[in-house]
Amino acid sequence: MGFEKFGRFGYVSQTKINTLLSYLEKGQIAATKCKKCRRTYFPPRADCLDCRHSTIEWVVLDGKSSLITFTQVFFAPPAFQPETPYLLGLAQLTNGLRVFAPISPAVDKEQLNPGVELNLKVAKGSRNNLYYWLE
Amino acid sequence: MAFEAYSSALDDADIESSEIDGSVVCSATHYDKQRSPAGVVAEYLGLNPQPTFNVEAACASSAVGLRTAWALISSKLHDVVAVVGVQKMTELSSEEIQELMGRAGDVMWESPFGTTMPAYYAMYATAHMAKYGTTEEQMALVTVKNRKYGMKNPNAMFQKPISAEEVLKSRPVSAPLKLFDCCPNADGAACLIIANAEKAGKLTDTPVWVAGLGLASSPMSLAGRKGPLTSFEVTKNAAKAAYNMARVGPNDVDVAEVHDSFSITEILNYEDLGFAKPGGGTRLLEKEETELGGKIPVNIDGGLISKGHPVGATGASQLFALTKQLRGEAGSTQVDGAKIGLAQNIGGIGMYAAVTILKA
Repeated sequence: MGFEKFGRFGYVSQTKINTLLSYLEKGQIAATKCKKCRRTYFPPRADCLDCRHSTIEWVVLDGKSSLITFTQVFFAPPAFQPETPYLLGLAQLTNGLRVFAPISPAVDKEQLNPGVELNLKVAKGSRNNLYYWLE
Repeated sequence: MAFEAYSSALDDADIESSEIDGSVVCSATHYDKQRSPAGVVAEYLGLNPQPTFNVEAACASSAVGLRTAWALISSKLHDVVAVVGVQKMTELSSEEIQELMGRAGDVMWESPFGTTMPAYYAMYATAHMAKYGTTEEQMALVTVKNRKYGMKNPNAMFQKPISAEEVLKSRPVSAPLKLFDCCPNADGAACLIIANAEKAGKLTDTPVWVAGLGLASSPMSLAGRKGPLTSFEVTKNAAKAAYNMARVGPNDVDVAEVHDSFSITEILNYEDLGFAKPGGGTRLLEKEETELGGKIPVNIDGGLISKGHPVGATGASQLFALTKQLRGEAGSTQVDGAKIGLAQNIGGIGMYAAVTILKA
């Protein structure tokens, strides 16, 4: 299984950053860092758009984040229909980078507002799939 | 469908296919059964052997088609170009459309979480509500307004009025957006005949001039965008380019067509185009300044919310409505003395935006 293991339903199988999966398996979420100019990327990238170098290292994120916005999806694409309604959010990590992720169904929707502090944690699906969500 | 729009455009310009030296066919091709649809569209319209090709920028395809035609003509490569926007969405089942819709975002980092087109715009709505106190009741007013004008447009899909209460009671799609906050999928076509100044002068006594063309891009991923997500940087950048090129500002615009894919989008567009200050879009709406007779009438052809949103045809449909206004042919929705019109067309989830300024 390639990168389609990523997400609740993955679309892309081959990427330059499949290593993310091995971090998720260890319960960690990692970003990439350009070895030359030190710019950090999340979601991970294999190629630096600033200096155009492609040698990277991985750095583990603490997952602390602040919610920017969210929605609750009622009308979903076929692969996601069994889980409706579900929450999706955009949050800012402590390093200033942003993450688009599901919000754990354990989170009370009424408590959600831009600015709320959440944690990005590893999540596991029923098909051995791996991803992250905000909780 | 493309033929109906094309034939009516030829009649209007009093021109025949033999005088058109190229065509730009605009559709979001992922919705088409036909691969490379420019081939079959040009054949059916009788536009062989002239050059033809497809232009795709999701929902902004035919606005970008106009930009392409303008460049082809300005470079003197062509004299007269037909821009044909067309989309036949009902060939796909709802399931297929939903599946496509799921891949509207970044397919590697966002689609695997169950994104949809409404979900992205709903996230902008949530952010705007939190920052400016915008309410669902205010958003419903966009649908009420646009449906009211849709009744006067024989080409609109919805010809019935709607109350704010009906909008608010409609079923949730992606909170806070409900069914009637959303424009419907539709089949449709629209055609523009673009000519150089010399040819245009011979074809018509009432040419409409392309005065400003703005086009910009934003990161496809929501995570790649900056700021609080209460506005579309992509629209602001496209508007700046169009206003500069046309040497006009937002206060000079007499009539506008903006991309009301969702009710919230129209409110954001007022602000991003400079018709209202950040956070002031709802007040502009409540004061009825975007109604016929207001300071800046917006979407008085019914907008996408009434006309439907046949993706590839929408940009050309907006420019068609402005052309009618600037020629004084808009009938019961005519803005008196309209001289400057503005169309704003967002592509997809906001990775493209085109702002076009036309002058009578």
